[in-house]
Amino acid sequence: MTAVDEGTRTRRAAPAAGARRRRRSTSTALLGLWGALVLVFLFLPIAVIVVYSFNTGRLLTSWQGFGFSAYAAGLDRPVIRTAIATSVQAAVGAALLSAVIGSLAGLALARRGGRWAGLLTLLLGLTLVTPEIMDAISLLGWFVSLDSDAGLSLFGNGLARLVIAHSVLSTAVVTFIVRARVAGTDSALEEAAADLYATPWARFRTVTLPLAAPGVLAGGLMAFTLSLDNTIVASFVQLPGGTPWPVYILSALRAALRPEIAAVSTLMFLLTLGSLAVVAVVLRRSGDSATDIARTLTGGG
Amino acid sequence: MLRRLRAPHGALALPAWVFLLTFFVAPVALVVWYSFGEKPGLFGTHSNEVLSFARYAEAADATFLATFWNTLRIAVLGTLICLVVALPFAYWVAVKVPARWRGLLIALVLVPFWTNFLVRTLGWQIALSPEGPASSALQALGLRDGPLQVLYTRGAVQLGVVYNYLPLMVLPCYVALERTTSSLREASRDLGAGRWRTLTSVTLPLAFPGIAAGCLLVFVPLMGDYVTATVLGGAKGNMVGQLVASQFQTAQNWALGSAMAVLLVAFIAGTVLVAAVVALLVRGAVRRARRVDLPAPAGEPSVLAGAGARS
Repeated sequence: MTAVDEGTRTRRAAPAAGARRRRRSTSTALLGLWGALVLVFLFLPIAVIVVYSFNTGRLLTSWQGFGFSAYAAGLDRPVIRTAIATSVQAAVGAALLSAVIGSLAGLALARRGGRWAGLLTLLLGLTLVTPEIMDAISLLGWFVSLDSDAGLSLFGNGLARLVIAHSVLSTAVVTFIVRARVAGTDSALEEAAADLYATPWARFRTVTLPLAAPGVLAGGLMAFTLSLDNTIVASFVQLPGGTPWPVYILSALRAALRPEIAAVSTLMFLLTLGSLAVVAVVLRRSGDSATDIARTLTGGG
Repeated sequence: MLRRLRAPHGALALPAWVFLLTFFVAPVALVVWYSFGEKPGLFGTHSNEVLSFARYAEAADATFLATFWNTLRIAVLGTLICLVVALPFAYWVAVKVPARWRGLLIALVLVPFWTNFLVRTLGWQIALSPEGPASSALQALGLRDGPLQVLYTRGAVQLGVVYNYLPLMVLPCYVALERTTSSLREASRDLGAGRWRTLTSVTLPLAFPGIAAGCLLVFVPLMGDYVTATVLGGAKGNMVGQLVASQFQTAQNWALGSAMAVLLVAFIAGTVLVAAVVALLVRGAVRRARRVDLPAPAGEPSVLAGAGARS
């Protein structure tokens, strides 16, 4: 570059700097506006549900007045109470089952558990991307054959069906969270314990498990919320009398919607919010950044 | 020593293998098996006495293809809109927002994602209904004479799916953009690139894996979704998932429903594969076009040859 070029550049740059800064702040402001709009968009329907849960009218969509009658009516109806109880029981069961299976698999994958690790990762990934309708019809057919053809009465139990079906969807989430957590730790810790004559069980209990614990807890809570929300698969595998809450809403869609739906949904929303808050606190305390938490909550990708 | 450590670790994956083979692989194989059978008479759901491809021919009729086309349109358009909405948002959170606020903003994106999608969709149904808040606000402002007639149209379905899958696009984009540290953007500016050039040549290529993951995470479940469309689109929002569900829940023809589901999954897998190949080819072409060959100074040919091979 010649001296003349250099000179022109400097002379032109001086007055342009102010304009550039102004342009930059305009684009930042526009991006900020866009961000605010997206957040409003994301919360709009949830706000609508919460507001309409205080509707005293008979129909959900037509606003009458403010009151708590929908909450009282919702919690008073045995059908709704049974649905909530079914949902919570299935969610606890699925959280426990997938936490156990997923944590063990996560540990195995984090420490390169044999030559099958790649295949297992692929299989778990497939459970995450398979359309839910496929899971739904395949588990329905499978449960019916196991129950009536093979005579395994466990699979004629509605709650067992829900727990298993929801665990299929959430095992991968737990596995990937635990794998990410344990992979970040040094396997030398376990080797040191082995060198100090710890038995495999003592090593697992005192070294590996405490390392994996935040991941196990976060994964289990996420399996809980996933199960609580599951609609499509549950609507296929459920049995009469054991309808979980989201499936109850789905069937209520065919009739006129009543404000009780919004009221109970608001309560369930608080339950989900509570378990998510616990996940965030657990991960935060174990030293994750916001980005790490975000990655964890999208399924450990 | 090492052998002793590794052996139990492999065994830890055993429960997962057993569980997934029993409750994921075997059931899906059963559906494939059913799809070669038929519906035996009025009361049976499936029979594999006679094996044929007849259900596939039956599945691919005019109604199915029309619904399929509709589903594909909604899914492709939905993925594109999600990308257009999510990318500036993710960029804003990852680059413009101070680090201590990022966690809160991402948490705010995650909260709707983890609440029940049926309830959220119901929220839209209320919001968009002719007697709902949006309708009365528009009428009060004098922007509309009659009640809003958006619900049960294709537009409402499109809005609902974009809403439901938006967080799945935001999060991978955010994670990818957050990793492109500001030092790379500053280096690009120092080397004379303008803001637009920095965005298109540095930031977006680095965020490419996140964008690709986001598109995958949105497109695949969207193709199988049908509840959003049922709630917001009524009869007009028919998706392939709805056809499959009605074969199982209403028509009780499991053989035909299975064939439809297999077609759907095969199509999704095929689309993803084609998209992945195209994306890789495009990326390779762009990289070749933008490749920078450093002139090799005398004395150190081996080091630069290595660097060239890596770029």
